[in-house]
Amino acid sequence: METYLWITSVWGVYLGIAVFVLGMGLRIYQWATTPKSPVRLGMFPKPATKSGRFFKMLKDTLIAPHSAKIEPKMWIFAMIFHVAALAAFVGHLRILGEYPILPELLGGEHAMNTFAAYAGSIAGTLMLVGVIFWIVRRTFGPYKNLSVPEDYLLLFLLFGVIIMGDHLRFVYGGFIHADTYQEWFRSLLAFKPMFPEKLLSGNVGWSLGTHMLFTDLFLIYFPFSKLVHTIGSFAANYVRSE
Amino acid sequence: MEKVQLETLTGVIDKKMNRQLKQYIDICARCAICKDACHQYVGTGDFKYLPARRAELIRQIYKRYFDKAGRFMPALYEAREPDDNLLDELYDSTYACTGCRRCMYYCPFSIDTAWILSVAKAILIAAGRGNEMLGQLADAAIFKGDNAAMFEGVMLSGFDDISEEVRAITGDPEHRVHVNKEGADVLYVALAGAHSIRPAAVIFEEAGENWTISMFEAANYGFFYGDTEKARLITKRYIDEAKRLGVKEIVVPECGHAYRVAEFFYEAWSKEPMPFKVTHILEKVDDYIKSGRITVDKGLIEGKVTYHDPCQLGRNGGKFEQPRDIVKAVTDNFVDLTPNRAEQWCCGGGGGIVAMEEFKDVRLKSGAKKVEQLKASGASVLACPCENCRLQIEELNEVHELGMEIWQVIDLVVAAMPLPGNQKGAEATE
Repeated sequence: METYLWITSVWGVYLGIAVFVLGMGLRIYQWATTPKSPVRLGMFPKPATKSGRFFKMLKDTLIAPHSAKIEPKMWIFAMIFHVAALAAFVGHLRILGEYPILPELLGGEHAMNTFAAYAGSIAGTLMLVGVIFWIVRRTFGPYKNLSVPEDYLLLFLLFGVIIMGDHLRFVYGGFIHADTYQEWFRSLLAFKPMFPEKLLSGNVGWSLGTHMLFTDLFLIYFPFSKLVHTIGSFAANYVRSE
Repeated sequence: MEKVQLETLTGVIDKKMNRQLKQYIDICARCAICKDACHQYVGTGDFKYLPARRAELIRQIYKRYFDKAGRFMPALYEAREPDDNLLDELYDSTYACTGCRRCMYYCPFSIDTAWILSVAKAILIAAGRGNEMLGQLADAAIFKGDNAAMFEGVMLSGFDDISEEVRAITGDPEHRVHVNKEGADVLYVALAGAHSIRPAAVIFEEAGENWTISMFEAANYGFFYGDTEKARLITKRYIDEAKRLGVKEIVVPECGHAYRVAEFFYEAWSKEPMPFKVTHILEKVDDYIKSGRITVDKGLIEGKVTYHDPCQLGRNGGKFEQPRDIVKAVTDNFVDLTPNRAEQWCCGGGGGIVAMEEFKDVRLKSGAKKVEQLKASGASVLACPCENCRLQIEELNEVHELGMEIWQVIDLVVAAMPLPGNQKGAEATE
């Protein structure tokens, strides 16, 4: 198990982060160095001022009000997924270090862990719901016809990341908390990788390793997939108002 | 596919590539939210008309030849070469697209499918598969520009006839269509046909405008065909004319794409700033009415009136209110279509599709939403400021027996003007 953990949760993490950062950098560099469209591609109505256009871009990207109007069901599930993913990401930041003030506000370390358990469980469940909706949606009709293997691969990787994350949350969440994962992750950041005893005993290592395996693959593939919409959608939505 | 032809086609993509195209191709999540936005997909249920699918064909070629990940794992992206199968589907989905950009309006990333299809058209032309009819119409317009003198006699005699009609309507013996008037403030670039000139001339003359007519028409089949050089040459005909006459402003007629071409595309094609102010005729007319330069009476137009936003004028041109204000000035009995303005359904007749007989079936089916809207409005008169929209809606009107009167907005205005020889209704069905 230790070898599995070293592959997925040490070297895989280094590789994943490196490919992700370099790949996204390359993608942004390619966009930035390709000449802009000579034609103004904006559509109406559009705000008259630059700041107006900027805020419209933020609204269009973060809330997508037009999409909500035409396909509310898809919008709700997409919103559920994205908001839950953001919450999960924010929650995961605890592996870098404990949040300031929040534990005191909640009434101590134990309360903080309980709060994280609830928040993480909800976010993890909602993400799973979102991904399952997308998977099912791609199995019939025009959605199926439009899908390419890339779409299924990404959903498979996401499903793996989430289901293993939920597994860690629901099975081991009661006795392994952020501080344990923090020890492991901070050792990676210090380039002195190690695993705390708690992760090596029992089967939790297999679960963490699999969660990380999916995560590594997801990060590696991210810059070469349609997921670059995380950044590109801001630029494209800005062009809408130009 | 032969190497030479392949290089030609990929060369087109290379030449046309820009930041926005690259981003559109990279970020589309194939979520298919666009499917319910497209009148053609909704009207036919045919997968090839799903907007993201239309763009997907270009993405497949792009991934195959321009994207490292696509070259490394083509199967993952269904990346493929532009073979006959792909080009056949591309032809149908590209030339059928009316360029209404309703899909872009609803897309969470605002992906401009019509812009991606401009590359598709360039590829089809390079492959010798450009639409023949549109290509011929574009060439004919360019020929006319190169041989203007050959057409002058016919044009002048036509303008004389229209001048007679204008005088008969206004009752003023001085009124006429001004031709080649140096020092005019306004150059009116009409469409081919008296219907586009007569009411405009009545309005300009009644408003006391210092205007002159262009010897060329505003329609641009080079734009529909997808050849920007042809499109530029066609537009350049009246730009040069406007320069020669020293006008201050170019006024385009009740035509959607003509406005968009002049206001949004010509600068990019010619790589020089547009030297004139470009105005749509309905902006002018709205201004004449609001400033009291012309008078219109409510009550001369009978029945409930509604208004269709042509996509190139509304969503893509930003002129939502002026045409409505004009219609509301000539009638108290106005009702809007639902949805309207930026969300207005495309009638199905844009992008040159009315000139391509082969798409007639798709075109009529894709008008289903428009027919639904018109029926629901309960109106008996439709004001519609775009020639292609009007041709399409007139046909829908007939096929679906809607019994509506389809009017140009300027015809409605003239009909509502208290003039001695007003031929209310006579122009409606021309």
